[in-house]
Amino acid sequence: MYEKFLEDIAQANGLREVNTYVKLMAGLGAIILCLLSTSFIAPLFIAILLTGAIILLAQVDMRTYAELFIVPFWFAAMSVIVIILLSGGSEVYWSWTPFSWLSISISVESLNEGIFVFCRVIGGMAALIFIALTTPMTDLFIVMRRCRVPEVVLDLVMMIYRAIFMIMHLLVLTYQAQVMRLGYSSFRESIESFATLCGSVFIASWDAGEDLVRAMDARCYAGKFAMFGETGPVNSYSLVAVGLFLLTSSVIVVITRDIVVI
Amino acid sequence: MHIMEGFLPWQWCLVWWIFAIPCLVYGVYLLKKVLDADREALPLLGVTGGFIFILSSLKLPSVTGSCSHPTGTGLSAICFGPWITSVVCAIVLLFQALFLAHGGLSVLGANIVSMGIVGPLAGYAVYRALRETRVNMFLTVFLACALADMFTYFTTSLELALAYPAQVGGVGSSFILFMGIFAVTQVPLAIVEGVVLALVFKYIVQLKPDILFRMNVFPEAKINAARNDT
Repeated sequence: MYEKFLEDIAQANGLREVNTYVKLMAGLGAIILCLLSTSFIAPLFIAILLTGAIILLAQVDMRTYAELFIVPFWFAAMSVIVIILLSGGSEVYWSWTPFSWLSISISVESLNEGIFVFCRVIGGMAALIFIALTTPMTDLFIVMRRCRVPEVVLDLVMMIYRAIFMIMHLLVLTYQAQVMRLGYSSFRESIESFATLCGSVFIASWDAGEDLVRAMDARCYAGKFAMFGETGPVNSYSLVAVGLFLLTSSVIVVITRDIVVI
Repeated sequence: MHIMEGFLPWQWCLVWWIFAIPCLVYGVYLLKKVLDADREALPLLGVTGGFIFILSSLKLPSVTGSCSHPTGTGLSAICFGPWITSVVCAIVLLFQALFLAHGGLSVLGANIVSMGIVGPLAGYAVYRALRETRVNMFLTVFLACALADMFTYFTTSLELALAYPAQVGGVGSSFILFMGIFAVTQVPLAIVEGVVLALVFKYIVQLKPDILFRMNVFPEAKINAARNDT
C-alpha cells in the first residue's frame, strides 16, 4: 500500500524554491524533445541528465528513485517485446508463422524500433518523475489558475486532492485494523474485507467531505478557493541551466536523428 | 495499467487528445450544471475521484503479481453519467502521473479516452439497459463495473495496436496479441473489481441510500426492496 506519495518528497525537495514555470519548462520541454527524437540517443541523454538533476540537485534518495522505475520498466519491457516480434522488417534473424494471420519475427529493423521505444519511455519517465518530484501539486494549482482552467474544474481538482489524503488516512487505519483481526487470511475473506474497507472508507470520507464543504460555507466560500499566488522568483542561474539543457538536447535530437543501434 | 510516458509516437498522442478534448468540454459543461443545481454533489464528486485514484493505484489483494489494476470508474459512471466521470478521470490521471509517476502527460489524452471515456460509456450503457428491467440491482452494478474495466483494457490494447501495427495482419493481429497479454491478468481482475464494487454499492444502499434516491440511480422501489432483503 502506498503510504508515501511523491507529493511528500516534492514538498521537501532541494529544488522546491525554484520558480515553478522554470521547472515545468525543463520537464515538459524534455517530454516534447523525447517525443520528437527519432533516435535512441537523445532520450537516453535526457534521462541521464534529469536523473542527475533529481539525485544531485533535488536530493532525492536514490533508492526511492529506482523504485519508481520498476513498474514502468516491467510494462515497457513487456510491450517492447511485442513490438519487436510484430513490427517485422527485411533483414530477418528469426521468424515463425503459427497462423496465417499472425507471423512473429525478429529483425534488425524491429530490434532498432524496440530499443528506440524503450529508450523513449525511459527519457519520458525521467522527465515525468522530474516534474513529480520537484513540483508539488499546490504549486501547480496556481499555474492552472493562471492558465484559465475553469473555476468549477479547479474546485473539483482541489476537492479530489483533499479527498485523496483523507481516504488514504482512513484506508490505512481501517486496513491495519482488518489485518490485525485476520481479515485477509483467505482469498474469499480478503475480497469481503476489501469490499467492506472500500465501502466504509467511501462513506466516512464522503461525510468528511460534506463537513469540509459545510465548514467552507460557514466561512463565506462562494465557489472559489483563495490561494497564495506566490512562487519563487525566476533565478537567472536556473533559467540559464534549463535553457542550456533544452538547447543541448535539441541539438542532439537533430544531430543523431539517423543513428540506429544495429 | 495506463500507457506510460513516451510509449506512443507524438502523432498518436495528438490524435487521442483530439478525441478526448470535446468529451472533456462537454463533461465540464455538465459538471457546472450539476454543481450549480446542487452544491452538495461537490464532496461526493471529490470522494469519487479520490476513490478512483486509490483503486487504480492499488493492486487488489492476492490476485496476480502483475501491474494490472482495477479502474473503479463503473460506479462513478452509474452515479454521475459517463461525461462527468470523464472529467473526474482526467483529473485523477493527472494526479496519478504527478503523484505516482503512473501514466504520463503526453499520453494523458490516450489514457483519458480508454479509462475516462470508453470504459465508463460501456459501463453506463449496461446500466441503462438493465436499470428498468427485473435484473437484480447488484448484478447490474457488477456487470457495469466489470465491463467498464474490460472495455478500458480493450481500448488500451487498441491504442497500442494502432500505434504499433504488425507487419503481417496489421492492426488486427497486433490488437489480439496486446489483448492476449492483458487478458491473462485483466479478466480475473475485472470480475474481482465487479464483485468488490457491487459489495461497496450494497454497503451504500444499507447505510446511506439517500444519495441514491436523490440522484435517481435506481427506481426507489428497487432500492427499498434490496434494503428490506438484507
